[in-house]
Amino acid sequence: MSVALVYLLLLKATVTSFAGMGSLPQIRQDFVDTYHLVSADALSEAVLVGRATPGPMGAYVVAVGYLAIGWPGAVAGWLALITPAFAALPLLATVQRWLHVPRVRALVDAVIVAGAALLIPSGILLAVDAVRQLLRLR
Amino acid sequence: MTPSIRQLAWLIARDVNRTVGGGNASMELLRRSFEAREWVDAQTHGLFVAVSRLTPGTNILAYCAAAGWRLQRWRGAAAAVAAASIPGALIVFGLAATLVRLDRYPAIQIALSLGMFVAGMLVLSSAFNLVKPYVRAGRWPFVATVAMLAGALYLVGWTPVRILLVSAVAGSLLPPKTSAPAVPAPKGTEVTRA
Repeated sequence: MSVALVYLLLLKATVTSFAGMGSLPQIRQDFVDTYHLVSADALSEAVLVGRATPGPMGAYVVAVGYLAIGWPGAVAGWLALITPAFAALPLLATVQRWLHVPRVRALVDAVIVAGAALLIPSGILLAVDAVRQLLRLR
Repeated sequence: MTPSIRQLAWLIARDVNRTVGGGNASMELLRRSFEAREWVDAQTHGLFVAVSRLTPGTNILAYCAAAGWRLQRWRGAAAAVAAASIPGALIVFGLAATLVRLDRYPAIQIALSLGMFVAGMLVLSSAFNLVKPYVRAGRWPFVATVAMLAGALYLVGWTPVRILLVSAVAGSLLPPKTSAPAVPAPKGTEVTRA
């Protein structure tokens, strides 16, 4: 398996997801089921490492790349992790250019408010998970 | 104020890589740091958050790319994304290479749980700070309408991206009295023409 193919497979997963762990189903399908590059257990380990590490949760793709083909895979994983982020630049430029239009302004405001609303269950779930884990450790 | 590339990279590396549990908590830390240094105001932060939510991939990296580009154009975007991703990626690589399971040790499990709790509180604080400017500007009907729509779609199991897209369309279609900006376009988001 070439580095380029690992990069493209990981990129396919990251570019079609909209959150750090959102790429997991695609990675499972490509790396575990289709190409058998990593075992299901190894993928779980990679996810656990990603969750337990500070920084972006999506960084687990670095571990997936490493477990698939070694350190070149880790580099491919890092590149696949960062590549989609640059899609924010044309989006930001476009939004800024049209922000003086009231309807566009309202559209952006709605995304901000809806995004804030979606943060509430995420924050509560994180805190509840943390309390559950602490109670289990007692 | 405009930071140097080094200042920007340092701040982003510090704030993104000191939380566990996802990028939302990191965004809140970055908002606080940016505002304290007057690099980015609250509404521009809101714009970055909106853009990052609609960008494929990891949200916090898209946020950093947007912030870096705004502050130092291409060099800033590249430095910000590198600073946000390299430390965590190196730790992940190191742990995967040595097959170390951090969560095997009780003391680390406790530290991680406490870190997750703090991250949860930061996420809730982030939600509050994102809507605060709209509520202060008297736009609570807009906030309530969009938030209730988003909440309802979340409860029926829609994905976040679909919820954001539907909310965006709904927001732009709301009656002008509800949707019209009660505050002027935020500093730094005015129209720029080449």
